Amino acid sequence: MDIIGQFPLFYFPEYGSAWMMGMTGTIHILASHTSVGAAMLFAFLAYKAYKEDRSDLYPYMKKYGMFLLIFSYVIGSITGPGIWYTATAASPRGISALIHNFVWVWATEWVFFVYEVIGVFVLVYFIDKIDKKTHLKLTFSFALASVGTLALIIGIISFMMWPGTEAYYATGSASDAFFGTNTFPHMFLRIGFMIMLSGVIGLVISSAMKKENLELSRELTKKMGYISMLGGFLVLFFFMWYMGTLPDNAHAVFNVTKDSVIQNRIILTGVFSLYFLVAIVRPQVISTPLAGVMIFVILLAGIWPGEKLRESMRKPYVAGQYIYSNQIISRDVEGKGIKSELPIIAEKGLLQVNPFVPENLKVITEENKLEAGKLLTRMSCSNCHSLEKTGKYRPLKDRLKGMDKEAIKSTLYAMGDGAFPYMPSLKLPEEEYDAIAAYIVSLKY
Amino acid sequence: MDASVLLALRDPAGIPFYPVVFQALYILTWALHAAFVLLALGSMGLSLVGTLKQDSDPTWKLLTPHLIQTGKISISILIVLGVAPLLFTQVIYDPNWYVANTLSGMWVFIFIYTLIVGYIMYYWYYYANKKTEGGGKLVGIISFAVLVFAGVLMHNFAVTSIMPNEWMNMYAPNGVVDNSGWTFNMDIIRLAFMVSLAIPVVGIFLQNYSRFLSTRPDFSEEFIEYTASLGTKLGVVGLIISAITFVLWMLQINYLMHPLSLAIVAGVVVLLIMVFQNKNSYITTGVLVVVALLISAMRELIRFDIMAKLGYSIYDYPVNLEIPTITMFLLTFLVLGGVGVAWLLTMAWKVGKNQGVFDGSKDVAVTKLGNYTLAIMILWMVIYFGWGMTILFNNIL
Repeated sequence: MDIIGQFPLFYFPEYGSAWMMGMTGTIHILASHTSVGAAMLFAFLAYKAYKEDRSDLYPYMKKYGMFLLIFSYVIGSITGPGIWYTATAASPRGISALIHNFVWVWATEWVFFVYEVIGVFVLVYFIDKIDKKTHLKLTFSFALASVGTLALIIGIISFMMWPGTEAYYATGSASDAFFGTNTFPHMFLRIGFMIMLSGVIGLVISSAMKKENLELSRELTKKMGYISMLGGFLVLFFFMWYMGTLPDNAHAVFNVTKDSVIQNRIILTGVFSLYFLVAIVRPQVISTPLAGVMIFVILLAGIWPGEKLRESMRKPYVAGQYIYSNQIISRDVEGKGIKSELPIIAEKGLLQVNPFVPENLKVITEENKLEAGKLLTRMSCSNCHSLEKTGKYRPLKDRLKGMDKEAIKSTLYAMGDGAFPYMPSLKLPEEEYDAIAAYIVSLKY
Repeated sequence: MDASVLLALRDPAGIPFYPVVFQALYILTWALHAAFVLLALGSMGLSLVGTLKQDSDPTWKLLTPHLIQTGKISISILIVLGVAPLLFTQVIYDPNWYVANTLSGMWVFIFIYTLIVGYIMYYWYYYANKKTEGGGKLVGIISFAVLVFAGVLMHNFAVTSIMPNEWMNMYAPNGVVDNSGWTFNMDIIRLAFMVSLAIPVVGIFLQNYSRFLSTRPDFSEEFIEYTASLGTKLGVVGLIISAITFVLWMLQINYLMHPLSLAIVAGVVVLLIMVFQNKNSYITTGVLVVVALLISAMRELIRFDIMAKLGYSIYDYPVNLEIPTITMFLLTFLVLGGVGVAWLLTMAWKVGKNQGVFDGSKDVAVTKLGNYTLAIMILWMVIYFGWGMTILFNNIL
């Protein structure tokens, strides 16, 4: 029996299922980066408080900072598995590939998570119940554990983009997959962003302290300005290195929107540099509402488009440059004994090899052509494109508007021959191309 | 479902270690996760009862915020402990995990946000109750309901995952494909048993709570006695309810006479006696952990049998041994996790037993464990970068 391990397809109308991952991912990035950044900031403040015997810093840490720490850990700890969960529904084979390569890395990260979750409560509730030296040790271990979680997840998400070298395909080794050329620049890029975010959120807290202690508020606002500036500089610096370690298909996608992306980043850099500069030079100007708004600016104008871009640049793959977004294995991985599924699909067709296609749609007839075409289109395209005439997320209508059946088929054939580096080279039998084209035409884009 | 399909749904990369290890880790970590689910459920539920009495009753005035706090911490811990069984299950039971999640894709999405909303509301309840005694009742009830709903959704995923013969009907009823992700299945008796366990768990927790605080002079004898006797009542009644629902569940699936099932029944009877006598609740807790492991093993046995009958055995999963990363996991788990968590818990225990500020720098165990934890973490980072650089130099030069 010629079947491939494809799962039932989950499709969210108008948007596609990938946006669910994107939405959860964006919230998670804000929370998780804030939490790691906050852990580092706390270690810094605790050190300062201990060394300089600054007891005035402890209430600040307890009253505001700890709430932030717990809040970011709560949201981060739910949305982390949340990305994983929604990715499972949207890209089951993509996440399965990651799990089966990196299960022990994830299990190791879990050890750090357990430490962090118990640690965060100990850190919060014992701040005035244990001596300062022990508490300082706790903050250091907590910061190290937080950075540890980043060190472990970064190799996995870098592998999603690509393994970095050819070694993984030959050996199948998780170490070769994990430590690609992309891993370390990606790691330091994110550390920079975490430092910046900890400062940006620290500004909300320090500005809120004006009424209670104006002098301390100003001092801390200045410090947060410096910290954010340092983080921002690291982001820019490591972004250059990071971009240089991306594969060709990523640059092909990046070049499509390069001008607007660069323009957007220049504006963001300018706005935030000015903001941090004001915090340093005129700390009294920074108000809590302004600091709050700036977090949303980062979320909406920085993280959301940034993560969308990173996801786009992976195309047509979803993991390791061997699984396409539409859940098809596109190349051999000798080291793991994995075989490309493209030849069998080209020969038998997707309907025949997918075990979850019902019997009545296995063979295309004049009667079921549109129904089969609809299922084929969803199986092949919906991971990246919404299909409806009113579709919102990378809609097919924008790409195939006004085309007749033959023009659509020609596009599909060209795609199968690898004409577009960011699209899967998926060859299908003539009758399946025909059914897809017939269905798309029936939508009257 | 055909064996050839189930086998094709395994990941072609194989698994990086022997399947029985993943199975054992699954059973272990699920039991830990479930323990905190039940403690969260029990303490949240009891705290809501507490809010009704908190104004007038001095015992509940003290107990209610502690229960709310226990619920709050337990939710955080159950979330983090829940990640591990999810991880291990999908390594060996890919067909079950991925089919259930795609069939219930919408519920998966809703689950995440239900959990976020429920937990944030729980914090709201915590702060409202902290501000005013008896405060936050309505928010507490809503957050409790929302979190229970998240639990029901998780139950749906578990139940759907062990119905392989129905998957095709769920996905394409009468040959019409349904991509909506709204598949929802429940097994009321199984769910009732699992939820009922929250009552004895909070009962045993209260016995421990009372025992732990009995050495503190700032807690009155009446309070210590009341919480212990409340724990005993809840424990006894809860265990009887759990025993009945467990027998019903086993009868439903025809497993009552299985040795594992009988061991659980025996374990519950032992627990019942121990809880009733309340001689040493810490030992009772140890027995509870054993029973939790047996229940976790029972769940796994049911799934294993369902799949084995269809020709899918996890023990036949192709293995691609992966030594460096499992070495990293084992060392991190045992050394860093062991020492680090021991440090945190030792500190928590000593702070809890102590009135006023606890000077950890003068405590040999706390100081040593703290220094070791920091040293191990730094060493871990050094090894991580050394390993990464070696691999990279090897592959790019």
